[in-house]
Amino acid sequence: MAHNFRTDLWVDWCPGCGDFGILAALQQSMVELNKKPEDFVVLSGIGCSAKTPHYIDAPGMHTLHGRVIPFATGVKLANPNLTVIADGGDGDLLSIGAGHFVAAGRRNIDMTIIIHNNGVYGLTKGQASPTMPRGTKTKGLQRPNIMDSLNPVALALSVGYTFVGRAFSFDVKQTKELILKAIKHKGTSVIDLLQPCPTYNDINTKEWYEKRVYYLDKDPSWDPVVREATSEASEEKFIQAIKKSLEWGDKIPLGVIYQNDFVPSYEARIAEHITNYFNVPPADSPIVNAKGEPIARMGKIFADRLIRR
Amino acid sequence: MPLVDIDLIIGGPQGGGIDSAAQIIIRAFSIAGYEAYGIREYYSNIKGRHSYFHVRVRDAPVRSLRYPVDLLVCLDSESPFVHMEDVSEKSVILYDEDLMNTKIEQVLTMEPETKKHVMDKLGREGFETTLAGAVRFMEKKGAKPYPVSFRNLVVEALGPNKPPARYANTLGASIAMALMGLPPELTLKGIESVFGKKQEVLEDNEKIVKVGYALVKRQNKINVKELPIKPARERYILTGNEAVAIGKVVGGLKVQTYYPITPAADESFFLEGHDFFEAETGDEVDKENQVLKNAGVVVVQAEDEIAAIAMAISGAMTGARTSTGTSGPGFSLMSEALGYAGINEVPLVVSLYQRGGPSTGLPTRNSQADLLFAINAGHGEFVKIVYSSGDVPEALEDAVKVFNYAEKFQTPVIHILDKNLANSFFVIDEVDYSKIKIERWKKAENEERVERFKFVEDGVSPMAFFGKNIIWLTGDEHSELGHITEDPETRDAMMTKRMTKALTILREIPEEEQVQLIGNPNADITFLSWGSNKGVILSVIEQLKAEGISANLVYMKLMNPFPSELVSRYLSNAKLIVDLENNYTGQLASLVRQNCGVKIENFILKYNGRHITDDEVYYGIKRILGKNEKRVVMIGGA
Repeated sequence: MAHNFRTDLWVDWCPGCGDFGILAALQQSMVELNKKPEDFVVLSGIGCSAKTPHYIDAPGMHTLHGRVIPFATGVKLANPNLTVIADGGDGDLLSIGAGHFVAAGRRNIDMTIIIHNNGVYGLTKGQASPTMPRGTKTKGLQRPNIMDSLNPVALALSVGYTFVGRAFSFDVKQTKELILKAIKHKGTSVIDLLQPCPTYNDINTKEWYEKRVYYLDKDPSWDPVVREATSEASEEKFIQAIKKSLEWGDKIPLGVIYQNDFVPSYEARIAEHITNYFNVPPADSPIVNAKGEPIARMGKIFADRLIRR
Repeated sequence: MPLVDIDLIIGGPQGGGIDSAAQIIIRAFSIAGYEAYGIREYYSNIKGRHSYFHVRVRDAPVRSLRYPVDLLVCLDSESPFVHMEDVSEKSVILYDEDLMNTKIEQVLTMEPETKKHVMDKLGREGFETTLAGAVRFMEKKGAKPYPVSFRNLVVEALGPNKPPARYANTLGASIAMALMGLPPELTLKGIESVFGKKQEVLEDNEKIVKVGYALVKRQNKINVKELPIKPARERYILTGNEAVAIGKVVGGLKVQTYYPITPAADESFFLEGHDFFEAETGDEVDKENQVLKNAGVVVVQAEDEIAAIAMAISGAMTGARTSTGTSGPGFSLMSEALGYAGINEVPLVVSLYQRGGPSTGLPTRNSQADLLFAINAGHGEFVKIVYSSGDVPEALEDAVKVFNYAEKFQTPVIHILDKNLANSFFVIDEVDYSKIKIERWKKAENEERVERFKFVEDGVSPMAFFGKNIIWLTGDEHSELGHITEDPETRDAMMTKRMTKALTILREIPEEEQVQLIGNPNADITFLSWGSNKGVILSVIEQLKAEGISANLVYMKLMNPFPSELVSRYLSNAKLIVDLENNYTGQLASLVRQNCGVKIENFILKYNGRHITDDEVYYGIKRILGKNEKRVVMIGGA
């Protein structure tokens, strides 16, 4: 039987939680990618979304609040041949971890970031997250939220993400398709994954979203992909994507919003210099000989510090 | 007694080539077969503020510095003021006579507080507050002034079209070398060693050297004895930062992450310059090196220290030897992730270069005040190794050892160092590879699914990695498989498993790698210390021995888990214990009291950020012995 990427743990999210759809879509994508489980690492930050790796039968790392991106980056640095998926909440990635979210756009490591976007901090009882609009009063809040929301798609675009998309977790099939595209993209892909919190966010519910979402690829003229390696070509698609990112309210677009395959990944940039980086990745590079002695020698590598007579 | 034993200070504006001048001196003496050692002192500033190099050259091994210096080379108008206490009747002061009438008020680089202290000292002695006054202050101590016109000499050497300020450093170094008696061809070799073989640079400097030496000969004011050139071998000149970097590479470092911070970042910059291995073919070693060909170390500048340690942790869990380097403020940011590395038993190495705190404190100055913080960093209870190095050769070897400890015991290791070590220059031999062993983890059987946190007697479960096995890690308490659990019995068993490692570590790390008792076990005085104080203490022990006072040193390396039994044993014979540290509270002494129940009563401490020297430790001991003082605070250094 094919590996189905399911563990036998009881999934302890609230009934009706949007995270179930993300988990199912993720597991199905991993099956379809037809890789060994050890070729993946699924990482998460802290919060409800952060339990995701435990429910996937593949190597997993449940990390610290806000830090999933640098942890995911470390795996890729040591072994660029692994498929890395980083799950985080909206508070996780866009508040406490916002600095890392910005830096990741500049690096363009070949990995996929999934923002579990529900507008609230669920596990601590429903405080407003950075994606909740000002003035929103959910049942978990004492008073309407007095901070403005940020726009994850526009933020991602402006800091250089080379693949930006949005999905709705109750449409598992579309979510899976988008995750597959994101993983196959060579660079950092980010998905703004709309995920209702049935317990604390009584505003942005499943029904609220179902009335508003629409699929960009239903329009045959919609082309989010940069087709030429020129600044004009990428600028055109970038402006189109920024405009699209501002659509929110009555109509919420889903699908690929921007994709640029011409930007070299961070790993490719390393390999320009350390040319054997992919063939002998740091994780597989031998360091010791049969006698237990080091094989890297000071005289060869640090000859410039030698004082010659 | 060595025939040659010279201390000198060369001071000038930051960015004015003070480093190069000191390097020329150290390299030239090394090429001539002498030993040399130096420390750089500098402000948190890019250009202009007073920096200086304190160097000692000797015809015997050298690992410490002394005041008063034999030679004070002043390349700016601030040097004579701030170093006027650093000389004695044996000293020669080389300075620019064109600056003679400079008033202290005109020295813009000087801090107002320092100005006031200097003016008070000059006033008390009845000298005017000018550079001339400072020189007279030093003359009164018996020092010999050696005024020269830097401008005239540069013009004499290179004509009127070259900027004198650019050549002040090589000119100063040349006159200093001439006064010390090193033949000019060695000084030239030193210059070539520092600046390379660029034709124009070499030609100019050759003229500068010639003029400098001619001046010393012409003036004939100082009786110079020409030093013999001795057989020398090829050696490396390394700072502490570089030694740690080299040790890491030899030890198999594959990924280094960092966020820029003084005084740690120089280690990572140096690695960035040596991150690509282009091995050649040929002998036996090179056959092994073939696997390294066109590989290297991935050095990553992270967005902050939190990212740096996070990347290092997951890199290590993917099977690469991974480390990060930082200093106090960055280490503070790392403490949450350190706990993550603790609960997940990650073989992570953090090189911690202490500097003056709290907060930004003295960002470019020395300190040993982060010992207790390093031991206690991270909430909750977990075992981490805190391992200290005291000098450049030790730091290099320890950089390999800390990787071994991290992997063997699957636990984070803080390699604790300090600014003095980071910025000191040592001349050392090539590593003896037969003495450096690489020891790695006990690996899990090659099965797909591994219990990463399997309960085992010694606490060290078989290792498994991302990319090789299906494993789960979590910062939550977890099962043997790595899934979250709050089950009380599993919690108890996991705590016991992790904490048991402290005993495993103390059992398996060889005693001499934990603590060393250096010197006569029945000595009258026992120094207790750690880190970069080692060299100074060993020098002072020799000095005391010459007077018939016996002293030894209990030198700590493994700071956590604390080797209580060993330290208790070494201290049990001690007649008078003196704790010597670069902090206010005597942190090592408090650890000894906590772990061994021994209350230490005598302290020699320093926390002004400047490097400690033989003389102040020597007088510290005299004050404890003669005046029955309990707490001596060392205040030396500009």
